[in-house]
Amino acid sequence: MSAISVDGVSKKFRLQTDQAHSVKELVTRRDRRAGHDSFWALRDVSLEIEQGSMFALVGHNGSGKSTLLRCIANIYRPTTGTVRVDGRISTLLELGAGFHPDLTGRENVYMNATILGMSKKQIDASFDDIVEFAGVQEFIDSPVKIYSSGMYVRLGFSVAVHVDPEILIIDEVIAVGDAEFQRKCFDYLYDLRRKGVTIVVVTHSTGTVEAMCDGAAWLDHGELQLVGTGPEVAAAYLGRVNEAEREARDAAQTVAVSTGAVAAEDVVVSGVEFLDVDGRASGTAIHREQCTIRISYEAARPVSNPVFGIALHSGSGVHLTGTNTKIDSVDTGKIDGSGHVDFVIESLPLTPGDYELTVAVNDEFVQHVYDRHDRAWRLAVREGTSLAPEGLMDLRGRWSLSPTE
Amino acid sequence: MSTPAQVWSYRTLIANLAQRDLKSRYKKSFIGWLWSLINPATTLAIYTVVFGIILGAQAPIAGNGKLNSFALYLFCGLVVWNFFSGTINISIVSFQTAGGLLTRTYFPPECPMISGLITVAIQAALEVLILFGFMILFGNVSWTFIVVIPIFLLLACFAFGIGLVLGLGNIRYRDVSYLVGIGLQVLFYLTPIVYTIELATSKSAVLGKILRANPLTSYVYGIRQCVYSLGLPTTSNWLMMGASATVSLVVGWWIFGRYAPRVIEEL
Repeated sequence: MSAISVDGVSKKFRLQTDQAHSVKELVTRRDRRAGHDSFWALRDVSLEIEQGSMFALVGHNGSGKSTLLRCIANIYRPTTGTVRVDGRISTLLELGAGFHPDLTGRENVYMNATILGMSKKQIDASFDDIVEFAGVQEFIDSPVKIYSSGMYVRLGFSVAVHVDPEILIIDEVIAVGDAEFQRKCFDYLYDLRRKGVTIVVVTHSTGTVEAMCDGAAWLDHGELQLVGTGPEVAAAYLGRVNEAEREARDAAQTVAVSTGAVAAEDVVVSGVEFLDVDGRASGTAIHREQCTIRISYEAARPVSNPVFGIALHSGSGVHLTGTNTKIDSVDTGKIDGSGHVDFVIESLPLTPGDYELTVAVNDEFVQHVYDRHDRAWRLAVREGTSLAPEGLMDLRGRWSLSPTE
Repeated sequence: MSTPAQVWSYRTLIANLAQRDLKSRYKKSFIGWLWSLINPATTLAIYTVVFGIILGAQAPIAGNGKLNSFALYLFCGLVVWNFFSGTINISIVSFQTAGGLLTRTYFPPECPMISGLITVAIQAALEVLILFGFMILFGNVSWTFIVVIPIFLLLACFAFGIGLVLGLGNIRYRDVSYLVGIGLQVLFYLTPIVYTIELATSKSAVLGKILRANPLTSYVYGIRQCVYSLGLPTTSNWLMMGASATVSLVVGWWIFGRYAPRVIEEL
């Protein structure tokens, strides 16, 4: 059963740049309609969100995610189309929404919870839980204007999830908290989902989408690009982001070359090979045998400490593992020209099957991607001499049995 | 448009918003809520001195046949005026303050307007009680005091309807708040508060007609009748109050319900 069904929703906004802001302008301007440019924040979006599922909306900034959330939350009315929502909604759309700076944390909790539709009795009952979850016990009777932004969002999140919602709508606010709180939030959301709460989140973290969401939708310029399972949408979205970045870089390069300037900053991955124990290139690797991933690179100019990274996905799209030279504390030094980097796996812990390899080169702070190829190489793992375990990975543990005398 | 039932289901929110308003208004102030009394008291004192003493305005004899106080006569009118202008002003502030909230979470936009009205009504109730206190002190008491309640209910509807529209308009056109400032000043003197309607009519018949066409005149007259003169408002008085309250509330709420969602999106 779907808790939320969005049917052909479009939302048009008027651009406010030329709008009359005083009565004088209103009267003096001849053609009032002429100045009104409009743009479509959403165009014909339809999707169903199952009850008890966690659903993510992804897309770059300005793609209409927040507008869609607000339509679902009944804050905006769609220009055309309908939104049907089955259940009580709680929203967390902005950091500390509805907190009054001069009032204490306690007063704001009551205030915020009533906005979300709780009665005083219900708030009394869950007040302690709310404060404890937010971890602001010492400050609960201080005005919230002295709170740090982390405390603000913690308290806001805590209220929103404790009002016993049937549907919870969250914009990208959780990202503000520290790593520990984020984990706590996601754990809590996971619990809520198990209890049958429908959760809709906007996120930029494709990792979250992939790992936690049952469904996802990808919006671009107000149009729905893809609706599918979390991993499907995450992969497609990530693919597009990387492609766009590559295109942008290529375009920048072309421009730079044509003006005669020295452009290339880059390190590119020129090839990947899988080597067996004897150093022969092969398209297949053997379970529990040595396998070397050789990444060939070309650097157009000296680059210090580039970070090489790999990631493995199963054929079904599960992100199995990923690491890079920074995680493994390997100093790559200064590279120039061409060469290769080897990643040696002593005894391959993957069970027979098909895998996809992602390879990337980043700058030393892993902030800038020089080159990245998503799931571009296929690695077929075959059974070796030993029997392979079930599933995707081989734990390589040791059994021992000691009967009690 | 939110139905009254929808608004009613958010009554806890309305109460909390009003409470928050009252609490935060006098936070960090030394004498706190006493300010809410000092303000009207000062106005009363100034008008009494200027109009009563310097300009020698005269009040009619009160209902008990003895009392003749321009200050108390003035007070009756000021109570009405304070409630009316307070509602208009707070409607503008309430919608502006709640605007941010309305873009982040859903609740009927009428809620903050109603809670604003409630804070003003509490203030008005306080002033009315003080007015009663003085009347009792001077022995000018009657059961007609009770009639204050229906008059104030009608006045609340009248002021609220106008407040809804002006609060909404102010978001779109900031000129509204300036216009309201001037408009209220003009209206104050177009309502027989610091003078009697008889005096104005005796100077100019046209002015008298204008004053009688002003709905606020009927509320001021009504309150004076039942608190000062210890009588009842006339039938035509009741009709004026009833009609103005109904028209204002119905039209105001309709406009608000129709345009508020659109205005909220543009906040």
